[in-house]
Amino acid sequence: MTLSETVHLATRTLRRNALRSALTLVGITIGVGAVVTMVAVGNGARASIEDQVVAAGMNVITVVAGNYKMKGEDGGGGVVDHNASLETGKKGSGARPLFVRHPEDDPMEKHDHPTARQRLGDSAAGLGAAATLTRADADAIRQGVSGIQYVSAGVHESARVLYGDRRWFTRLHGGETDLQRIRRSWTFKYGRFFSDREFNNTALVTVLGTVAHEKLFGRETDPTGREVRIWNQPFTVVGVIASTNWATTGAVGDDQFDAVYVPLTTVHRLLNLSKLNSITVTSRSAGETTKVSRAITELLRKRHGIGEAAPDDFVVQTQASLALGKGVSPQVARAITGNAPGLEQLTLEQLSHTLERASRTMTVLLASVAGVSLLVGGIGIMNIMLLSVTERTKEIGLRMALGARSRDVMLQFLTEAVTLSLIGGVIGVLLALAASGGVKQVLRWSAVVSPEAVVLAVVVAAAVGVFFGIYPARQAAQLDPIDALRYE
Amino acid sequence: MALIQIKDLTKTYVVGDQHVHALRKVSLDIKSGEFVTIVGPSGSGKSTFMHILGCLDRPNSGSYILNGRDVSKLSKDELARVRNSTIGFVFQSFNLLPRTSAIENVELPLLYNGNKYTPAERKKKAVAALAAVGLAARGHHHPNQLSGGQQQRVAIARALMSEPPIILADEPTGNLDTRTSIEVMEIFQQLQRDRGITVIVITHEHQIAEYGTRIISFRDGRIVSDLPNSYARLAAEELEQLPVPASEVA
Ligand SMILES: Nc1ncnc2c1ncn2[C@@H]1O[C@H](COP(=O)(O)OP(=O)(O)OP(=O)(O)O)[C@@H](O)[C@H]1O
Ligand SMILES: [Mg+2]
Repeated sequence: MTLSETVHLATRTLRRNALRSALTLVGITIGVGAVVTMVAVGNGARASIEDQVVAAGMNVITVVAGNYKMKGEDGGGGVVDHNASLETGKKGSGARPLFVRHPEDDPMEKHDHPTARQRLGDSAAGLGAAATLTRADADAIRQGVSGIQYVSAGVHESARVLYGDRRWFTRLHGGETDLQRIRRSWTFKYGRFFSDREFNNTALVTVLGTVAHEKLFGRETDPTGREVRIWNQPFTVVGVIASTNWATTGAVGDDQFDAVYVPLTTVHRLLNLSKLNSITVTSRSAGETTKVSRAITELLRKRHGIGEAAPDDFVVQTQASLALGKGVSPQVARAITGNAPGLEQLTLEQLSHTLERASRTMTVLLASVAGVSLLVGGIGIMNIMLLSVTERTKEIGLRMALGARSRDVMLQFLTEAVTLSLIGGVIGVLLALAASGGVKQVLRWSAVVSPEAVVLAVVVAAAVGVFFGIYPARQAAQLDPIDALRYE
Repeated sequence: MALIQIKDLTKTYVVGDQHVHALRKVSLDIKSGEFVTIVGPSGSGKSTFMHILGCLDRPNSGSYILNGRDVSKLSKDELARVRNSTIGFVFQSFNLLPRTSAIENVELPLLYNGNKYTPAERKKKAVAALAAVGLAARGHHHPNQLSGGQQQRVAIARALMSEPPIILADEPTGNLDTRTSIEVMEIFQQLQRDRGITVIVITHEHQIAEYGTRIISFRDGRIVSDLPNSYARLAAEELEQLPVPASEVA
């Protein structure tokens, strides 16, 4: 008999006692099904928490040009709210104005506005917001730091945007196409982001934030394809960005949505600049932001030729450090994060720690549930196989008389046991797939059935069949043909 | 050279502190193509002898040369091979697998001959063997859908599957009525006559023993007589004399 014939014989024998076989494999089915489902739900929970962390921008790292430390007047701070520093004209970080600007002091009035030149072109030593970053730095980060997901170099300006007789004074961000992937909470109300092609061609295209869109076109007008004027240049609107997050729907003055986006290359061309204000980076995993920030700092220090003792000429900040500073006065925030370096890392690391501990507890629980249910299922199989050997003693004797060797008989019964447990395992996996689907549909939980868990479950089920089938199979194989034939 | 050469075979069972001498120094030769019947009262050691003849059991002492090979000291697995290739068994209680078709029952010996035949070939041979015992139309019947005589014929078809030189039958007619007993003996006589198969039938009925051309009597684990039977009954002729049973008219 070939193996496939042996399996065929086993399934037929089991089918002859269909109800009994079904009841026997229920134990394995429940065990495997429960474990695979729970692993799926556990995975789903972990993935969705990680998703939320990423969605909240916890994996966003911002490198800002300049550092207040260089002025030598701030002993503690490594962290700066770059929005505040650059928006002096509007909000003003009152305590420490860097540039006193009037709303009229607007680079779009003239192409080569001296203010813009000054801020971005010159390395104004001692200035907090010196333009110390270049696109080469951004490329170096993209290529030289592991764990990086997206990189977008940025220039931030203020600009007056005109559409017909309407005008709106707003933020202008020059960025790269990956910016749309970094901002996870963005959704396109109209159109799209500017493309790689437009980026490479320094095209005159712009994407509006919802606030700018509303002020220039009104809420319900599709502006794509229309022309707006910025710095006396005609820009074609290609899209409108809105927020998926109700908490950050743009209000006037919002840095992301009261803003227009233009390819960085276009800004550089029009303003005849080469420096950057910031580089925005995401790490692949939220738990890695600390590691990645450290790598970026090292890389930039080396590139900028900064000596051991000298302070950075840039600031690397994580979303967490920004969040920490929110609602607190800049000095206090700086004091906190300055005095407790790595505070922002603490929160992330604590989070991942908690997650890890929870998942370890879950694993132990799962393993015990799996162990107990498979043990019970396995004993059920052993019980039925022993009964079967007794019932079929005469059959065993006959097969031996006709030429079956001990190992043939052993293989036959072992195959039956493994077939039982394998069928149980496979049904369990199918049930788990259905249950995970149900959990997703009904409870709106995310559940991820991993292929590894499925393979492992099936292998373990087979192993249970072998382990608990071997004893009955040996009982059968050790029978004496004469005694077995005589058995009534 | 004789097909079966047995010398001083003894078999003793030990139950508690009691020794049961089932066989005491049995010696005998059987030539290829003989039709031997073995008779004797209950407990005389016939079945014990047949188990050793059939390589299901090993003697305590003595030698057994089957087909030129000493089989008295083979291992269990080697004995299984010898059984599969050399001996066709027919039992008193048929020993068919329940809830299994006649064809599948007949195929059984070929499952253990080392994949000599494909499943399709096995099935073909089984159908042919069933036809040879007159059951061509019953291939898909289960044992509980067959009469006792038909079941015993399925068992004979099974015994023929690996084309063994010897058929060993222990009380093959013990559960059958007179007519079906004669039918079974007719098949044995036909196999011996047409295919040259050596047939050994154990029975305690003298009428059945008279179908053989050599009758051996056992008593107390010994052979007490071993006589040729030149006036053997001919089952085929006897069947012609008997009225055809109602069940087979249709
Ligand atoms: N496994 C065994 N254990 C102990 N004693 C046994 C065993 N098998 C047979 N015997 C004994 O050996 C003797 C011969 O038994 P055997 O079955 O060969 O008789 P038999 O001639 O076939 O009888 P019957 O016509 O009733 O079938 C008997 O006394 C029996 O009790
Ligand atoms: Mg007997």
